[in-house]
Amino acid sequence: MSRLARVRAEAAATYRTFLRRRTAVFFTFFFPVLLIVIFAGLVRTTSGSGGLFTEPTGYYVPAYLATVVLFTPLSRVGSTVARHREGNRFEKLSTTPLTRAEWLAAHTLVNVALIAAACAVLLVALLATGASFALSPWLAVLVPATSVAFCGVGAIIGSYADGQDGAIAASNGIALPVLFLSDTFVQPALFPSWFRPIVDLSPLAYFARGVRAATYSGGDVTTNAAVVVVLAVVAFAVGTLAIPWTE
Amino acid sequence: MTSAVVAEDVRKSYGDTAAVDGVSLSVGEGEVFALVGPNGAGKTTLVRCLTGTATPDSGTVQLLGEAPSETNDQRVGLLPQDFAPPDRLTAGELVGYYAGLYDDARDPDAVLAEVGLDADNDTWYGDLSGGEKRRACVAAALVNSPDVLFLDEPTTAVDPAGRRALWRVFEDLAESGTTIFLTTHDMAEAERLADRVALLADGAVAATGTPSELVAEYGGRPRLVVELPESVDAPDVPGFDPESTREGLVFSDVDPEDIGGVVAALDDAGVAFEALSWREPTLEDAYLALAGDAEGVEVQR
Repeated sequence: MSRLARVRAEAAATYRTFLRRRTAVFFTFFFPVLLIVIFAGLVRTTSGSGGLFTEPTGYYVPAYLATVVLFTPLSRVGSTVARHREGNRFEKLSTTPLTRAEWLAAHTLVNVALIAAACAVLLVALLATGASFALSPWLAVLVPATSVAFCGVGAIIGSYADGQDGAIAASNGIALPVLFLSDTFVQPALFPSWFRPIVDLSPLAYFARGVRAATYSGGDVTTNAAVVVVLAVVAFAVGTLAIPWTE
Repeated sequence: MTSAVVAEDVRKSYGDTAAVDGVSLSVGEGEVFALVGPNGAGKTTLVRCLTGTATPDSGTVQLLGEAPSETNDQRVGLLPQDFAPPDRLTAGELVGYYAGLYDDARDPDAVLAEVGLDADNDTWYGDLSGGEKRRACVAAALVNSPDVLFLDEPTTAVDPAGRRALWRVFEDLAESGTTIFLTTHDMAEAERLADRVALLADGAVAATGTPSELVAEYGGRPRLVVELPESVDAPDVPGFDPESTREGLVFSDVDPEDIGGVVAALDDAGVAFEALSWREPTLEDAYLALAGDAEGVEVQR
C-alpha cells in the first residue's frame, strides 16, 4: 500500500508539473497532428507509384503513432532525469522511502497516460482525414508497452547526458533515425538489401509491424507484441539501474 | 551521549583528488554540529557519505547506529546543497509531495506555517523569493519529523531577515531534540546555532570544538584598529607592536584598559586618527587562522 502511495505522490507531482508547462503540453499533442496534416493532408502521392508515402494513409497509422511513443518518452524522461540530477533532486529522494524503480514507474505512468491521450487525438485526426484502418484492442498493449520501453531508454539517456540540453539533443538525435529506419514511414524494401536486417534490431520496428498487423494489413501481432513487452521489461530494468540515485 | 552520526576514517576521492581524506567525527543525539570550511574543502562530499548518497572509498559511517543504506528513511531529513525542486508546484503541493513519500508524515500546512510560509501555500515555488524558496525546501526536509536533519548550506543566498527566520526554525528543532548536521560558510550562523563546530580543509578535519573553544584556541587576542586619514609608518607604542594594514593600524592583544594608553601614545607620536574600533576575536577569526593555515594561505589580519 505504501509503495502505491509513493508512486501516486510522485506521479501526481509529475503530472501537475507537466500540465503547468503549457508549451510542453501544446507540442506533445500538436506535434503528431502536425505530422498528419503534412503527410496525410498536404503530401500528394499516387498509390502504387513507388517511393515515399505511396501507400494508403492506413498503412502509416503505426508511423504516426510511433512519433508519439518514441519522441515523447525519450525527450521527456531524458530531460526529467537530467533536471533531477542537476537540481540534486535524486540526492534528496534517495533519503526518502521512494526507490528508483518507483520513481521511474511513476514517471512512466504519467508518460503512458499522456501518450495514450496523444494517440487518441492522433487516431481521431486520422479518421477525420478518411484513413481506413481498424481500432484494434492490441493498441492497448502495443502503445503502453512501447512507451514503457522508451521511458527506460529515456532514463538511460538522461543519466549519461551532460545536462538537460544534452539529453534533449541526444534523444532527438537517436529518435529521428530510429523513426525513419523502423518500418514506419519508409518501407524496408526501399533500403539496400544489406541494411534490411538492421531494421530488425530496432524496437520500434516490432511496434510498427504489430500495429500495422492489428489495424491495417492483418498478420502476426502476437510475436511483435511479445517482443515489445520483453523489450519494455528489459529497458525499464536497465533504465532503473541507470538512474543516478546515489553517486 | 549516544551518537547519532559517526564517521571513522572516511575517505572519498574523485580521480586523483581526495575530496574527503580520513575524516573521523561523532555527533551526539540532539546536538547541533556545524561543518565549516572553504569552498571545495569536501563538506558536501562528507554530507553525502554520511547520508548514504555517496559511498566512501574506505572508512565507516553509522547513521542512527546503522549503515546509512540501512537506516530508516523516516528518521532522516536532508536539504541538499543547491537543491532545486519542481518550480511549477505550489509551496503547499511541494511539501505535500514530499509528505506523500513517507508512511507517517506531518501535516504539510503545519510544516509550512512552522517555516513562516503559511501565507504562500498557493504560490508556485518558482514565484517565491530566494529566502522563501529556501524555507520551502527546509519545510520539505522537515515533513517526516526527522531525528537527524542534514542541512547543506541552508541559508546560502538568503537575505538577513530570511536567514534569521530560518535560524529560529533550526533553534526550535534543536530545542525539540532533533540532531542537526549543518554545513555553512556563515560563521555567525555556526557560532549562533552550533553546539560544536568542525573545520574541514583539504578534505580533513583541521579542528573540532565548541565555538568558544575554537575562538579561544585559534581566534587570537582582542584587537584595536585605528583608522587613519592617510597611511603612516607604525609609531612606537610601548608594549605593543602595531601593524600597518589597509584597515589602519592594528594593535593585537589589547585589553580594554589598555586603550587609553594606546591613544595617549598615538597623540605623543603626533598620529591623527579618524576612528578606533576594538573587538574580541570571533569564530571567523578562528576560521581564517585555521583555514589560512590549512590552505597554505597567508591571511592578512
